Amino acid sequence: MCEQIKEIYAYREMLRNLVAKELRARYKGSVLGFLWTFFNPLLMLVVYNVVFSFVMRAQIENYAMFLFVALLPWNYLSVSVLQGAASLVQNGALIKKIYFPREVLPLSVVLANLVNYLLSLLILVPALLAFKIKLTAALLAFPVVLLVETMLVTSLALCVSAANVYFRDLEHIVGILMTVWFFLTPVLYPVDIIPAKVKPFFSLNPATPLMEAYRAIFFYGRWPDWASLGYLAAGLAVLLTLSLVFFNRLQRNIAEEI
Amino acid sequence: MAAVEVVNLWKKFRIYHERAISLKERVIFWGRQRAEDFWALKNINLTVPRGTTVGLIGRNGSGKSTLLKVISRILYPTEGEVRVKGRVSTLLELGAGFHPDFTGRENIFLNASILGLTRKEIKERLDDIIAFAELGDFIDNPVRNYSSGMYMRLGFAVAVHVDPEILLIDEVLAVGDLAFQEKCLARIRELQGQGKTIIFVTHAPKQVAELCDLAVWLDRGEIRMQGPAREVARAYAEFMGGAAG
Ligand SMILES: Nc1ncnc2c1ncn2[C@@H]1O[C@H](COP(=O)(O)OP(=O)(O)OP(=O)(O)O)[C@@H](O)[C@H]1O
Ligand SMILES: [Mg+2]
Repeated sequence: MCEQIKEIYAYREMLRNLVAKELRARYKGSVLGFLWTFFNPLLMLVVYNVVFSFVMRAQIENYAMFLFVALLPWNYLSVSVLQGAASLVQNGALIKKIYFPREVLPLSVVLANLVNYLLSLLILVPALLAFKIKLTAALLAFPVVLLVETMLVTSLALCVSAANVYFRDLEHIVGILMTVWFFLTPVLYPVDIIPAKVKPFFSLNPATPLMEAYRAIFFYGRWPDWASLGYLAAGLAVLLTLSLVFFNRLQRNIAEEI
Repeated sequence: MAAVEVVNLWKKFRIYHERAISLKERVIFWGRQRAEDFWALKNINLTVPRGTTVGLIGRNGSGKSTLLKVISRILYPTEGEVRVKGRVSTLLELGAGFHPDFTGRENIFLNASILGLTRKEIKERLDDIIAFAELGDFIDNPVRNYSSGMYMRLGFAVAVHVDPEILLIDEVLAVGDLAFQEKCLARIRELQGQGKTIIFVTHAPKQVAELCDLAVWLDRGEIRMQGPAREVARAYAEFMGGAAG
């Protein structure tokens, strides 16, 4: 495990280049260039705002912001897992010809999406201000929440990418599962509307405390629930370790299976 | 001191007739998937002392590339062990990982980082790599505009400047025009002079005799002969001559 992490660190320049390549490929060729980064979240913001304040009047005040605050980190999770799933298979040619720690490929997807998410904050924060939502010191908890989420995202991306080499339709299955997971996670709705009967199931969902935490710090201006974040972080540390071991085991035959 | 040590190495490939690659198919064809085992390497034992150059020869499909891939950790041994001391650079295919839309210069950074260099190391080598590739102003053009020879030149230039302790080369010496081939061979000799360990695959017994200290002759996954380069090269040339005539 230590060896594995050391190796990945030794290839940090490759990781950096792949992230740059990914970001560049995503935004190249557009007239707006770099500004394109902002376009997607901005468009989302406008659409949600129109839909939820005029078309489908929501009960929650500032519903568009309520949603936006959780939707952005959800997208970071879901897009990373979906793209991560394909990352090894897509780079099969490279894997067959050059040795490098294979973890670099799914990790580069996660990091590129992390950067994307951070850039989208440049839209989120002004939007929050525009809607007169108070930003408080609770924002200081953001790096912690982001770190915990990144542990989850990394674990999933590692596992799914390696398994996808052996079961090629996993990508599609993951797509469906992510949609189901989305509706089971309080992104569109607040946790309090979940009936008490099914609440225990919801608390098993690692994305629930994360979305709650993002909402607390950005929307309600409150500190997140440290206890549940702490349990989650401990659980995710175990998951991440297991994922690295799992990946390491599966990667042995990747070059010949791809 | 051995730079590379291969101990009782066996490598098995599974050859599938109908490959069930998806979960759906695996469930449907449960237990009915026909696969045969193919042993591409059988009980290979090999010690490469530091600073020597070893030639790998053998007919097509004898397992040369497979052996290089196992040593470079692209493939994982089925049984046995490979011990490697020092940084390895493998040249299986030049320019693997080049991005067509990036310029030659950008690709140097990308490719060298895939080969495991840090940013600082790449910057130190950048001028040498550019000089070696001799691409002139094309270095700042996207590589999709390169001819295949230019592409190879850049790939080779990066690979030989990684400055590995151990260099594994698979039939890539035959790239480029004659002048560039000469340059590549000269660079190999220079690396030999610096005490690097080199293992390379070739089909030319003459090249083995000229460049290598030791040689290994692989035949259907087994070592048929290993020893001083000249002797092995001669035996192989005689055998191939006999097989042809
Ligand atoms: N991924 C793979 N799956 C199944 N069989 C393989 C795989 N890679 C190689 N083989 C088989 O292993 C044997 C050795 O292949 P290898 O590429 O090592 O030969 P080689 O000595 O390099 O030949 P050449 O001179 O043609 O390059 C061949 O019979 C080949 O079909
Ligand atoms: Mg070969």
